[in-house]
Amino acid sequence: MKINYTNLQNEHRAIKHELIEAIATVLDSGKFVAGPYVESFEDEFAKIIGNKYAISLNSGTDALILSLRALGVSAGDEVITVPNSYVSTASSIALVGAKPIFVDVDQHRNINPANIEDAISSRTKAIIPVHLGGKPADMDSINAIAVKHNLPVIDDCAQSVFSRYKEKCVGSLATLSCFSLHPLKNLNACGDGGIVTTNNAKLKERLLLLRNLGLRDRNNCVEWSSNSRLDSIQAAILKVKLKYAEQQVMNRRSCVAGYISRIREIPQISLPKELPYENIAYHTFVIQCERRDDLKKYLEKLEIKTAIHYPVPIHLQAVSGSLGYKKGDFPETEKQSARILTLPIHSGIKDSQLDYICESIRGFYS
Amino acid sequence: MTAHQNVPFGYLKRQFSDIDPYLEDIRALIQSTDLTLGKALVEFENKFAKICQLPYAIGVASGTDALILSLKIHGIGPGDEVITAANTFIATAGAIAMTGATPVFIDCDNGFVLDPEKIEDAISPKTKAIIPVHFTGNVADMESISKIANAHNLLIIEDGCQSIAATLNSKPVGSWGSTICFSLHPLKNLNVWGDGGVIVTQNEALADKLRLFRNHGLVNRDEVEFFGHNSRLDTLQAVIGNRIIDSVLEITERRIQISKKFDESFANLYPRVRVPTRRSEVRHVFHLYIVEAENRDKLLSFLIEKGIRAKIHYPTPIHLQKASAHLGYKEGDFPVAEAQAKSIITLPAHPYLTDSEVDYTIEKVNEFYAD
Repeated sequence: MKINYTNLQNEHRAIKHELIEAIATVLDSGKFVAGPYVESFEDEFAKIIGNKYAISLNSGTDALILSLRALGVSAGDEVITVPNSYVSTASSIALVGAKPIFVDVDQHRNINPANIEDAISSRTKAIIPVHLGGKPADMDSINAIAVKHNLPVIDDCAQSVFSRYKEKCVGSLATLSCFSLHPLKNLNACGDGGIVTTNNAKLKERLLLLRNLGLRDRNNCVEWSSNSRLDSIQAAILKVKLKYAEQQVMNRRSCVAGYISRIREIPQISLPKELPYENIAYHTFVIQCERRDDLKKYLEKLEIKTAIHYPVPIHLQAVSGSLGYKKGDFPETEKQSARILTLPIHSGIKDSQLDYICESIRGFYS
Repeated sequence: MTAHQNVPFGYLKRQFSDIDPYLEDIRALIQSTDLTLGKALVEFENKFAKICQLPYAIGVASGTDALILSLKIHGIGPGDEVITAANTFIATAGAIAMTGATPVFIDCDNGFVLDPEKIEDAISPKTKAIIPVHFTGNVADMESISKIANAHNLLIIEDGCQSIAATLNSKPVGSWGSTICFSLHPLKNLNVWGDGGVIVTQNEALADKLRLFRNHGLVNRDEVEFFGHNSRLDTLQAVIGNRIIDSVLEITERRIQISKKFDESFANLYPRVRVPTRRSEVRHVFHLYIVEAENRDKLLSFLIEKGIRAKIHYPTPIHLQKASAHLGYKEGDFPVAEAQAKSIITLPAHPYLTDSEVDYTIEKVNEFYAD
């Protein structure tokens, strides 16, 4: 039985007529850049997340970069984040000229609030917690520390759209919340996209300028900036996708429940925990296991596709050489990076596939 | 006197009146899910490089990003100065500022391109690069600019956002710079259905590095060589581009034809209407048809009232914009650009105009000055 890592082809097949119609409507309007389709998507997204404002952009990476710029972060500043995320979290900090300061994660693979205060210096300008794979970071603890030290929080929600933390949506819990709308995300365009949500009117105004070359109107440039906009046709595509988002989340959660019930008693595996006040909209379902590389190869031979998010933490990448980190600096992250394995949880995974995958895993360890 | 006509500046509805072939291509792409750095993008980049008559094309998110990446890949940053023209679109200056470097402006000439004679005075020990802009589709005097840049060891990045298929002495734009940057914005000569840009270069090593730089610096899925941007031309937009790119030369010819007709007619209105000097060694691609006109503001209102959607590119030069406030420029610093800003007017001259609309435009301009 062949198990693919994603099921995007089938998901698109089911709705491609609607997607094409949406694109045709944008074409009728002739409004390919900015305009009513973008605004309509932003309004709907802000409502769903529960924040006042949503500002769409060209990518999740740009969402982080423009958020940092909106807060005035630049050369000489430091920003605290985690080393086990996708590289964008760290590169966005470097690309505005600031220095990423890493802090180790906890057993749930998100920033450990207990490690934050020691990393704060006079140069710290912001904290970027990541909700890795959809699992919410401990925002109450993080926000308490941030308030105490008068620091804004930008949360990297790229993998956590629709996740909930204590009755609120992830994306409504920080100063600025950054989402990705990349084709492999749970809310996905058919090209690059990103969006920031916030309740802060001043920051919203800054972001609207920063994404549009600093132009207040066609003839007035009030500050230098770049160009980072979500295409109208992608916004129209996303409006269609929003209709199916809730069902998709439920499908993925149902997959996860199916895995957990089948492999929870295998001693060589530890499973992620969903805490009582969370509702995780899984972007990835990540287990930790012994002999991870061998298990991955074994499953590959059985045509079961898995992935690793991510095998080499950012602080041990070639790029971080100048940051001065070394092996041993983040023991929890490093330990996890050798044990993590992502199992597929898309809409094509039915009970029979779950049985097959879990039997195979059991077979490996027996 | 002919009846009122509406002569639009934009042309998207006319250009894409038959959208079914495009939608078919998009349908196929969506089904394939090859949506990021996909096959259609590689195909488009190869075709684009051929049009440019240069070897390597790298699709990025916008013309502005093309400029930013071109500067940053050479390490241009805080403390550096980069020279460009005071009359260009603000994105050129914005791109310089986004690297942390300081934009330094110089005046333009009668053809709306950078004046080489002004370059040396603007060079300081901090100057690292110069961005000549092929504004409106005219080509800057690259031979003179190159001589000066080489003498002072300056990097040249060509801002070709408005100049696809333009040539100087039969050499394509991009022949002189380390890279040339193009825009695929919906209002450009070669346009897609959203933001997009292309960097073109003759340097293979640089092209390889730029491909990493636009894609998070990822050598492969798990290895980051350096911190990179996310700035990729959407494969979906490349699909659109692949349908249009074969007609670029035809599109260019029609723009040239219309502009020639305007040039010939408006020569009769000299000096009230002043057509820029057309250099015979340039193939101007007329992304914008701009003349200087007496009583410009009244002419603009008159034409709009008559249904002709004329515009101004741009009424306020960059050095007098609020964004430049901290750079210390003032009125009088760039007399040519400043005088032009008060007199320039852009007429619709796109390939989707009918001959009747072109004639109507000529008629109305003449009517305005017929007193």
